[in-house]
Amino acid sequence: MTVAARGARAWANGWFRPPAVPAGALALLVGGLGWEALGWLWQVPFFPPLSAVLGRLVEMVGEGKILGNLAQSLSDLAVGFTISVVFGVTIGILMGAYSKVEAALGIYVNAFLTAPSLVFAPVFFSLFGLSRATIVAVIVMYSIFIIIVETTAAMRVAPQDLLEMGRSYCAPRSVMFRRIILPAATPLIMAGLRLGMGRAVKGMINGEMFIAVVGLGRIVMDAGRRFDAESVLAVLIVIVVVAMAAVKLVQLVDARLTSWLPSTARGA
Amino acid sequence: MIEVSGLNMTFGGNTRSGGSVEALRDVNLRIEDNEFLTVLGPSGCGKTTLLRAIGGLLTWNAGQIRIDGRPVTGPGPERAMVFQNVALLPWDTVLSNVAFGLELRGVARAERERKAMELIDLVGLSGFERRMPRELSGGMQQRVGLARALAVEPKVLLMDEPFGALDEQTRRILQEELIRIWERTRTTVVFVTHSMDEAVLLGDRIALITARPGTVDEIVHVPLPRPRARDIGSIERSVEFVAIRSRLWEKLREMQPDLRGPTKVARAS
Repeated sequence: MTVAARGARAWANGWFRPPAVPAGALALLVGGLGWEALGWLWQVPFFPPLSAVLGRLVEMVGEGKILGNLAQSLSDLAVGFTISVVFGVTIGILMGAYSKVEAALGIYVNAFLTAPSLVFAPVFFSLFGLSRATIVAVIVMYSIFIIIVETTAAMRVAPQDLLEMGRSYCAPRSVMFRRIILPAATPLIMAGLRLGMGRAVKGMINGEMFIAVVGLGRIVMDAGRRFDAESVLAVLIVIVVVAMAAVKLVQLVDARLTSWLPSTARGA
Repeated sequence: MIEVSGLNMTFGGNTRSGGSVEALRDVNLRIEDNEFLTVLGPSGCGKTTLLRAIGGLLTWNAGQIRIDGRPVTGPGPERAMVFQNVALLPWDTVLSNVAFGLELRGVARAERERKAMELIDLVGLSGFERRMPRELSGGMQQRVGLARALAVEPKVLLMDEPFGALDEQTRRILQEELIRIWERTRTTVVFVTHSMDEAVLLGDRIALITARPGTVDEIVHVPLPRPRARDIGSIERSVEFVAIRSRLWEKLREMQPDLRGPTKVARAS
């Protein structure tokens, strides 16, 4: 038996294990190295290597450009997302519970869900002017409809046998809702919030880029006009980190609310 | 006392496909107070349908069900059901699941938890009251289901093949436990099963239901003495047990569509 064959056999038997490195960290490392290498190989002005981008990022933080704008952007995001959650979940619950409400609103929700949300930015701009309200409105526009759609669907996933059990104990509608329908809907509602959060971050950046006077979006626009790819990508990194952190936050809340789910039933 | 008289039930008669299924035909049945009645029949005979009708979860086409003279029009507080798939709330603890019925009766929290603890103890789950349903085995889950039903102190306990999905050893233990509990509480029980042994072991009488359309073929008295909880093994070896069991099998065998021979082909159920 050759050494290679023995190695393969050992691998198959499972007693040889690669050293434990978190897959996510490894993927980041590979991606980062790839970026760096391609940046050096290509030498095109709009694709600087990662090290240059990170250097620029440190400079920008030092100049105080990032943190102040980030705080502004995040507070808009928080306000917009909160509005989306409160109204989105409420409307979704009403649509799921009452077929007449769904019949009345369903067509609008689906239309707005598929429409490119940025086209409404000029409308909000003309309504609210150069204010935070415009950005918040764009964020809501981006994130509320997916939350409505998922919540509406979530209201129908309660298992039939649990509904029947509730009925057999003479549960009135309110109890059925509070003790069976809503808890059963929670995982899907939370999935909607995760998707909504991702869209809200997009809405925040797009809204800021459209208005181009505030937040991270303005930095991107300014840098873009100067063909300053390093700054654009540096801000992009910040945005991606913000988005991932925001989605992670929703996931943490989700894990608390739906701890009763078996781990196999939970999405990553 | 539960009186089922002239019960007829047909499913799906008004659908566009037109294929209606006659589930029950002229079912007449009388269940005395404090009686343990088992309902036995081949699978698909409508015995679960009958139980759900008594539970008020279904509507029927003709006939009447009365409990202590009052006609059944829906679920009622004097009945409690134990389901084959248990139907526990997966997001609630064992304690909260057992207290669910009491919660609906408006019993205050402290009182219903005290009562629930009592029932949890009765079904042998002390120490598990803070666990979630998914942490329990199938047998333990069904104990929770039984405790939830008993907690509301129903006049009638309706049990729909509660042990059908359990492995044989777990099922035997739960049968023993049920006999032990029932011989203490003597609640009226209607217990649906497809197991002949179970029907004989648990029941005072057995209602034998024919294959679809389901109707009561025969009521079999079980002369086995009570209490039975102490020595199930010797009951199962007794002459009476063996005699009833073989009689039931003869009857059930005739109802099995695939044993009637190749000439009569039964309609797919």
